[in-house]
Amino acid sequence: MSAIIHESGLRTLIDGWLASGKLVAAPVEVSGRVLYQRLKSSGEAILESRERPANSIKQFLFPRHQALFRYRLNGKQVELVDSADDTREQIIVAARPCDAASLPVLDHIFNCDCKDAGFDEARQRTTVIALACNSHDEACFCTSVGLGPSSEAGADALLVDLGDSEFEVRVLTDKGRKLFEGRTEPGTREAPALEGPPRKFDAGAVRQFLANGFDNPLWGEESVGCLGCGVCTYTCPVCHCFDMVDEGNAAGGERVRNWDSCQFQMFTQHASGHNPRATQSQRQRQRIYHKFSIYPERFGALLCTGCGNCARNCPAGLGVLRLLEKIDSRVRQQHV
Amino acid sequence: MIEQLRETCRRLLDEGSVQVIIGYGDSLPGKPARPLFIRKSEDVDQLTWGPHCLPNLTAYLKRKEVKALGNAAVIVKGCDEKALVVLTKESQVDRASLHVIGMACDGVCAPKCAGCKMRTPRFADEVIGTPSDAEPKAGTRPVTLEDLMAKTPAERWDFWKGEFARCVKCYACRQVCPLCYCERCIADKNRPQEILTSASLTGNFAWHIARAFHLAARCVECGECTRACPAGIPLALLNRALAEQTEESFGYQPGMDPDAEPVFGSWKATDKETFIR
Repeated sequence: MSAIIHESGLRTLIDGWLASGKLVAAPVEVSGRVLYQRLKSSGEAILESRERPANSIKQFLFPRHQALFRYRLNGKQVELVDSADDTREQIIVAARPCDAASLPVLDHIFNCDCKDAGFDEARQRTTVIALACNSHDEACFCTSVGLGPSSEAGADALLVDLGDSEFEVRVLTDKGRKLFEGRTEPGTREAPALEGPPRKFDAGAVRQFLANGFDNPLWGEESVGCLGCGVCTYTCPVCHCFDMVDEGNAAGGERVRNWDSCQFQMFTQHASGHNPRATQSQRQRQRIYHKFSIYPERFGALLCTGCGNCARNCPAGLGVLRLLEKIDSRVRQQHV
Repeated sequence: MIEQLRETCRRLLDEGSVQVIIGYGDSLPGKPARPLFIRKSEDVDQLTWGPHCLPNLTAYLKRKEVKALGNAAVIVKGCDEKALVVLTKESQVDRASLHVIGMACDGVCAPKCAGCKMRTPRFADEVIGTPSDAEPKAGTRPVTLEDLMAKTPAERWDFWKGEFARCVKCYACRQVCPLCYCERCIADKNRPQEILTSASLTGNFAWHIARAFHLAARCVECGECTRACPAGIPLALLNRALAEQTEESFGYQPGMDPDAEPVFGSWKATDKETFIR
């Protein structure tokens, strides 16, 4: 027996959460694109997996712009003011498994050398209801990084589309149970076996290449087309670099944390004018090393969930997938 | 047409007059073509041409990684070529050392393609193909400037507030723009910080207004900013609004006439403002 919920029942639940003051986010259609956004009503939510959202759910736990604290200046007196964070409980509905899986990855980062109170607090008040994927596109590669269309990592509950507007609800944590307890019906319908994208590269072969590949000419050859924008990093579920700045005037201001991107020339620019990553190919290489060598060495997992957003969103048709496929084929041909 | 293009590129590389062809290669199915940098004549078969060739490749002429490859031949559509006119006028491109291969175009399914009159490049060193008699393949704009201008200023403000609320400041709009070539963009200047780095509403308004103003009377409306935006913000509308003003006030359309003096690069005694007389 499995637990079943009808789409209309799910929408009623969402409206109930919204009515009780919870923040609810889900994929919605905006300007012809599917994006994760906060909902005003359940009607906006796209509860099917036809198109992967062009952004990721990290924004709900690690906002692109976040005030850490505010200050007021009064002569020589500095008065600190707590930032007025929205600390309401939040629920992310129909997160793709490649997005849900980003959360345990980010947990390592935000708790490695110090505990990031803001992230941990947001994580604690967030429940993720993932939706298993019954379709994938050419940019998807979750199966190449050890995940799949019904991966449960990072999710509190997983919905599996049974067709006819019905979902099987697989409750995975207490948070998930709290949301669905008494809201589902028993059913006997079998969830279909979901097929993920074909495997596109061997992550082990990539590691092997990276061990001696720092000065390989591939980096220069394959990144000429990179324009140096931050699309790949900002739409990536696990890219997490940030910058902190003070913004204000003579009366006061705030210390803010903003997303930053290793693909920007300014990211590593020193005050002296020296830039240790002076070229775009060095910045591309850094991104691959961080995801497939540096983070794995430190935390034993990949810094990539195979969502394919970097390839899907890149205005120059690049993204990590293309580079990884090139690396994989070089290793196969033993032209390392 | 594609064979003629490949043959031309093979010839140019074999002759040694150019060291790199900036052209189009196939990307993921259903996705726009991606830029390709061909340096060996045996690789020209990777070049592609068709209605998926959206990117404006003249954006690569500013990049030092591309300059380092040597003399270039760039493949342009009639619309892309307008950027070359402006870049030449602004001394950013040495037209004499650049080989331009123009492609007759039947539309790339972009909004700009509707009613296009630039289907054959005008200033290319060689043009490949002739446009068909059929209407160009065009896309539609979800919002037009006419729609926006029909609103009240308060409604327009709300419209942009809604759009900019999604901006994450990835700067794809800047990087993809052939005319955003500053070595250090004002958005990256931090002594003082002219433009907030925050992707807050204030920071986003500051950036998008600065971007539009720096492109006023320069933007050739290739539409790459809108195409590149991962948040689906119709950025080219801001440029369209300023282009209308430029045409109305100065009778100038950037990239159209290589002999016309650019609005910001010239001065006339007949200019209507009196403050500089």
